[in-house]
Amino acid sequence: MIKEFFSSLLHYFVNITTATLIVTATYLTISGQQMDSVILWEIILSGLITALPSAFLVCLDAKNGRILLLLWLVHFLMIFFITLLLIGFFGWYEITAFSVLLTFLAVVVIYVFTCVTHYIVDRRHVALMNQKLKQRYSDNKRP
Amino acid sequence: MKIIIESPQPDEEDVVIVRCASPDQKLISMLLSFQNVNTELTGYMNDKIVRLNYHDIYYFEANENRVFAYYHSEVYEIKHKLYELEERFGPLDFVRCSKSMIVNMEKIEYLSPLFSGKMEAHLKNDEKIVISRQYVHNLKAKLGIWEV
Repeated sequence: MIKEFFSSLLHYFVNITTATLIVTATYLTISGQQMDSVILWEIILSGLITALPSAFLVCLDAKNGRILLLLWLVHFLMIFFITLLLIGFFGWYEITAFSVLLTFLAVVVIYVFTCVTHYIVDRRHVALMNQKLKQRYSDNKRP
Repeated sequence: MKIIIESPQPDEEDVVIVRCASPDQKLISMLLSFQNVNTELTGYMNDKIVRLNYHDIYYFEANENRVFAYYHSEVYEIKHKLYELEERFGPLDFVRCSKSMIVNMEKIEYLSPLFSGKMEAHLKNDEKIVISRQYVHNLKAKLGIWEV
């Protein structure tokens, strides 16, 4: 359980931080703003903080797909509010209706990026497992 | 499959060696019965007491301190703890798939990924059960997939 938690934490930290860097780089390029190098450390720290509930979530047992979906919805909202708190704490920009909307969009992009990355890797694993299952039980059926 | 019976040296004790690519359920069942391991289970449904055949069990589930064995469509209560069933049926094709479930791999039709590293097992009776991320490696190991 603990090993699983730290392994997930590492994966989510890397994925979230990478996605946040991409979003930040895109935003800075488009807006033409300059920022201090301290922002990089802030991104790393925020990546770690937002990876924590994600790693915790994967360790929870959901009895069915619907409960899992509900957990992910709660998780998304949690990440969104944590991000808003971090923005306020680091003073990245002022909290206005427009900046909240932009943050929401950024969180959606990062969220989709992280989920899709994990899903693609899992899909490959599942394909191999299905192949092995098929192999194993078709062997059993042989007379 | 070849069966070879050799005579040991006078000072050696009898030994059974199985050489195969991956042991299937039939072979393991045979070895277990050879070792006389108890795979018998008694199930309770209302007033009925039924002797269960583990081949027909799709999965075991613990729910509010009670453990149930799920057949294709029937459900029987089992008077054992989940960890006892895991110990007893683990050497067969049963694998822990979540804190509260043990699934019979032979009854899995196919697997599909879910977001968050969990998987969904589609069983041959059209039921779906979730395989928790922390137990996926158990299933992989049973299938002979070793992670680095």
